[in-house]
Amino acid sequence: MGVTRTCLLALVMSTLGVLGQSRAAPADDSEAIMHAHAAQDAAERVARWKDLQHAIFGTRALKDGAGVIQIEAPEHALDAALVPITLTMKSATPIKGLYLVIDNNPSPVASHFTFGPRADPRSLKLRVRVNQYTFIHAVAETADGGLFVSQQFVKTSGGCSAPVGADNAQALKDMGLMKLHLLGTFTPGKPLQAQLMIRHPNFNGMQMDQITRNYTPARFIRTIDATYDGSAVFHLDSDISLSTDPVITFGFVPDKQGTMQLVVRDSDNALFNHSFDVPAG
Amino acid sequence: MRASFLAGAGSLACLALVCCLAESAAPAAPVVPEPAGYWMGPTHGPVATSLTGGTVIHTRRLAALLKTGAVMVVDVSEAPRRPANLAADAVWLPLPHPVIPGAVWIPGAGLGAISPTVERLFRERLAQGTGNDPTHRLVIYCHRNCWLSWNAAKRGISYGYTNVYWFPDGMEGWRAAGLSTANAEPLLP
Repeated sequence: MGVTRTCLLALVMSTLGVLGQSRAAPADDSEAIMHAHAAQDAAERVARWKDLQHAIFGTRALKDGAGVIQIEAPEHALDAALVPITLTMKSATPIKGLYLVIDNNPSPVASHFTFGPRADPRSLKLRVRVNQYTFIHAVAETADGGLFVSQQFVKTSGGCSAPVGADNAQALKDMGLMKLHLLGTFTPGKPLQAQLMIRHPNFNGMQMDQITRNYTPARFIRTIDATYDGSAVFHLDSDISLSTDPVITFGFVPDKQGTMQLVVRDSDNALFNHSFDVPAG
Repeated sequence: MRASFLAGAGSLACLALVCCLAESAAPAAPVVPEPAGYWMGPTHGPVATSLTGGTVIHTRRLAALLKTGAVMVVDVSEAPRRPANLAADAVWLPLPHPVIPGAVWIPGAGLGAISPTVERLFRERLAQGTGNDPTHRLVIYCHRNCWLSWNAAKRGISYGYTNVYWFPDGMEGWRAAGLSTANAEPLLP
């Protein structure tokens, strides 16, 4: 009987299709209209950042980050779940931290890096989930407590609910596996860039499992600690906005041949620990 | 295992490259045919340009349609859900959710595989909003390039509604045209 009903339904639907009604009308909103009404959103965006600034930094003043911090992100990101962000920093006063804020994500503070004595904080790359059209703010904190902000607008949406993969079991497989690629030649005392890849689904609790029809419980990386021969490179406080299988490119200054140690802790308090020889053996 | 991880990283690198290329020249939108059943793929991405049994409507025509009287409008966008294990001091500040004035917001109604509780709610709210009249006009939307509204509109057609409009421009198109919005709370089972 169920089959009969399905067939009937299909017949009715295809008949309706034949009858017409399925033709698409031409799009009637032009770029010109979009520009004319951008101002309405602009005021709201400014208000949103004001709210966030207050929630994150309280009454501390933020200065224009031009010349100190630069943020690069694709204006039209192809995949909202994998938006590549490049941060470039330059400052006479050492930079001790960095906040990455995705204004319109429900949990806006995507990352807070604290740099250690072995860090080279001039360049940092990572990938994030973006839920809807948004400003992304990067705030660099200097050793004397100065805060410098830059912003970039990103047009993409749906990153929060985008599924991690075809099935969750596969996504959880190999969790905690890490790779570290050195992006350059090791010279003692000279800054070196390294690309860290971590296998982790970083489930944010908003992804629907298409098989069970339930939301997959959130399970995400909370902290990453990178140390070189026991001396800190960076500490990262992270959140659900970090992409699945995070890839972080960071700089460090290896004074001599040594070991890079990575400690990753997730929201289930699972601890993943890997060490890499520098240069690779 | 190791090989698959490396392969994954390789394809991600390709993706990053494509993103960079997309900056200089936006590629033409690919033509996506209507799936036979509900769309089970990623929610966001290029969508079909037609809906069998329904009418595709764009911003200006929709604005005009809404002025003509009885139309039920349903937003099927997702609602943000605070993870229970988010740090207690984490900043959790979902944006207010704007809808087309008068619209009801039913998250989950456009999933390829709908949960029975959401389906019951969706059916009930449609019956209520249309006064149980299958010829009542029904507009379904979410975001631009979002399959949820396509699925939900198809579902509405499968319930027997004969005047179903799918609005693929979504909230982005509506706002871009400078049309007014109202904030709404999600209807959850």
